[in-house]
Amino acid sequence: MKNLFIFLAAVLQINLGLASEINLYTSRHYASDFDLYKNFTQKTGIKVNVVSGNAKALEKRILAEGKKSNADVFVAADAGNLGSAQAKGIFKKINSKILNQKIPENFRSEYWYGFAKRARVIFYNPEAVSENEARNLNYEDLSNPKYKSKIAIRSSGNIYNQSLVASLIVNNGKSKVENWTKGIVSNMARDPMGNDRAQIIAVAAGKADLAIANSYYIALMLSGKKGPEQKLAANKVKVAFPNQGNRGTHMNISGGGVVKTSPNTNNAIKFLEFLLSEEAQQHIVHNTFEYPMLDSVQPNSLISKFGTSFKQDTDTDVSAYFKNQKEALSLMKKAGWK
Amino acid sequence: MISLQKIYFKKINFWLVSSILISSIVCIPLIVVGSSFFNEVSSYYELLSKTFFYEYVFNTIFLLFGVLILSFFFGVGPAYLVSFFEFPGSKFFTWALILSFAVPAYIYAYSLTAFFEYYGGLFSVFTFFFGPGNYNNYIPRVDSLLGSILSISFSLYIYVYLITRASFIYQSQNLIDAGKIMGFSNYQTLKRIILPSARPGIVVGLSLVAMECISDFGTVSFFNIQTLTTAIYDSWIIFDDIIIAYQLSFFLIFIILIFFIFERISRKKSKFYMPTKGYQTISKIKITGYKAYLASGFCFTLFLFSFVFPLSQMIFWIFKFPESLNFALILELTFNTMTVVILTTGILIMLAFFTNYGMRISNSKILNFITNFSVSGYAIPGVIMAVSLLSFITFVSNIFKINWISYIFVGSLLSLITAYTVRFYSLAINGIKSGYEKLNTNLDDASYLMGYSKFGTFLKVHLPFLKQNLILIGMLISIDILKELPITLILRPFNFDTFATQAYVYATQDMLEYASGPSLFLILFASIFILLSKKNILRGF
Repeated sequence: MKNLFIFLAAVLQINLGLASEINLYTSRHYASDFDLYKNFTQKTGIKVNVVSGNAKALEKRILAEGKKSNADVFVAADAGNLGSAQAKGIFKKINSKILNQKIPENFRSEYWYGFAKRARVIFYNPEAVSENEARNLNYEDLSNPKYKSKIAIRSSGNIYNQSLVASLIVNNGKSKVENWTKGIVSNMARDPMGNDRAQIIAVAAGKADLAIANSYYIALMLSGKKGPEQKLAANKVKVAFPNQGNRGTHMNISGGGVVKTSPNTNNAIKFLEFLLSEEAQQHIVHNTFEYPMLDSVQPNSLISKFGTSFKQDTDTDVSAYFKNQKEALSLMKKAGWK
Repeated sequence: MISLQKIYFKKINFWLVSSILISSIVCIPLIVVGSSFFNEVSSYYELLSKTFFYEYVFNTIFLLFGVLILSFFFGVGPAYLVSFFEFPGSKFFTWALILSFAVPAYIYAYSLTAFFEYYGGLFSVFTFFFGPGNYNNYIPRVDSLLGSILSISFSLYIYVYLITRASFIYQSQNLIDAGKIMGFSNYQTLKRIILPSARPGIVVGLSLVAMECISDFGTVSFFNIQTLTTAIYDSWIIFDDIIIAYQLSFFLIFIILIFFIFERISRKKSKFYMPTKGYQTISKIKITGYKAYLASGFCFTLFLFSFVFPLSQMIFWIFKFPESLNFALILELTFNTMTVVILTTGILIMLAFFTNYGMRISNSKILNFITNFSVSGYAIPGVIMAVSLLSFITFVSNIFKINWISYIFVGSLLSLITAYTVRFYSLAINGIKSGYEKLNTNLDDASYLMGYSKFGTFLKVHLPFLKQNLILIGMLISIDILKELPITLILRPFNFDTFATQAYVYATQDMLEYASGPSLFLILFASIFILLSKKNILRGF
């Protein structure tokens, strides 16, 4: 009878919590992340069970599961998503000296920890925009009427944009950003569509002069993993790091935290600590082309060739992204940003 | 006859009780969605009504009309050609066109994007034939609303084709001959005899297309089109306002219900046109020359665009990115997908039998009402279905402090299968019902008189008669579950992906080429199901 029950539970995927494991809810679905989990299992004997999906959808799922949730770790790209989960009480505080030591303060909160960084940069067509002009660009300049119908950027529903606009609100105040969003919308080369890579391609194809997208996409295209045509396209655009004369380029993170109801808290902490190990950091930078959280690890050469010494905005706390998220979204929507 | 049934009705109420139980589970999402109007909404409501609300509505309507117009031509056109004419390939196209049913609209969308994006498939084709060059300016933009309309039309027109064809072939040759005697040309016959009597059938097909189109999530979200479904998703996911999401769903369900009722009424009407006496099968006209080329060309183009194009795009990708095809993964996905397909189809068919049988022997008005109400689960978009089910389970287990309910349901296959059951209940119920309607109740009485029990009658009399129906419905449900996306995405357990979710997850993570493996196998499996039941599909739809 007992065996029958276990069999039924197995067929129906009811989690009995029998093995040494962690249950990971992640919005990162890179195939390479799964190799990373395998390495973790080999090292510690802890099995990693995964549910992947949109970060906010996973957040809703954990909330719906309530006290019965067997989620241990919630991982998301973008601090806006982590902040949202924190605000809803999904995480619990953990005390890990390793994490606190390794991660700079502005890339973590009491509840979640960044393990990789990305910059939201400007891609430009060198035939249309001079290098000098591009180098001196600030995010604030993108609303300038001289870029009318020249900018490619994705939709306002995208969290990367929400976090960028949130950081602008922190630094410039709401009323200035209100005008800025209106300016950006009238400067769009087309209605927002596609992902970040599609914006870069729009510049390569001559459909826009400037695109705003995350840094790692260009390395991905250059790596040839996307095919020779994409490599060809990537070689036609250049990267500019905005706001070098002032606070620095907008940075964001991939990060994770331990879920409040976590049945395997110790394993969960071990997992987060593993992500900050040199080995894991090496794995991440060479597969997803993000920037490492540890200074001792070098970014992949495909991304470092655009410059490693650019000024990163380390003054704006990434946890402020969520606090201004609703405001940011509301301003974008009101400006007609689709 | 009535007295006999009454006797049995009084004796055992098993069928009735179980039917009511099932139907009430089906009602959960409707209750959850409806009760949202008693809750407060956030400031998002004001923002929404000030900004994009009308665009959402406009886009939904525009999308709907685009899809309906295309589906009408793609569906009625070939149905007319293959039913009344003989031309090269006409027999092949009769069944081959159904294969487009195997390609979900969102996978069609992936193919369109891959082919028409800058530096995409078409760019490679140009480069291959004409050498390197900047071809991006010659590549048409097939995305946004146009892309959505094409994707959804190509994957749904088959409903119109099947039902229209069915109503064409049941038309009597006598009428057509009468027209001929009056000197009608082929065009006049089509306009004045064939189309009017097939109209209810066409409306049934278009209503089905409309319902699926309005509740589509995968395609419109992939193309970033703001429709009511994406508005629901955005209110919930981005603005954290589930109440507005439910209220929007309520309107969406309301619109879909209108089509649903439309479909029901038209289906009844189309039966009116079914010939009874003096029925003569249609004698097909053999066409030759340029007309034959036109007919073949039209069907071939449709077949090419709706099935061959997405299929070859996936195959092309696999050759271009061989590392994207991971056999271990495909094996696992096959196992997962087939587990849910088999379990759910089995459960649904059993439930549909129970309920139909219950309705048949009890003649209960309450039961009829509840069943008619609960089939409207089909009108609930998958996203809302999944979320309302989760909310309900958590609500029940919290209120009544029954821990094991959420322990067993949350994050297990049970919730997934329950949600599928609610979603596809209508398909199963109506499928079996249409089979039962052809079975005269006198047959039951005869069986009882011969000493068969109720269960015996069910097993020995009903089941054999309904076998063909059963295969058809089973296959249709299986294909629908194979293609189902939003419910699976939200409710699937740990380490559990189906072809549909894996493809979607890759596609949204900017790894479209990796989506090719799961997409290809989804299409292949659905095609196998279609080929296995193509006779039943052509006959019984």
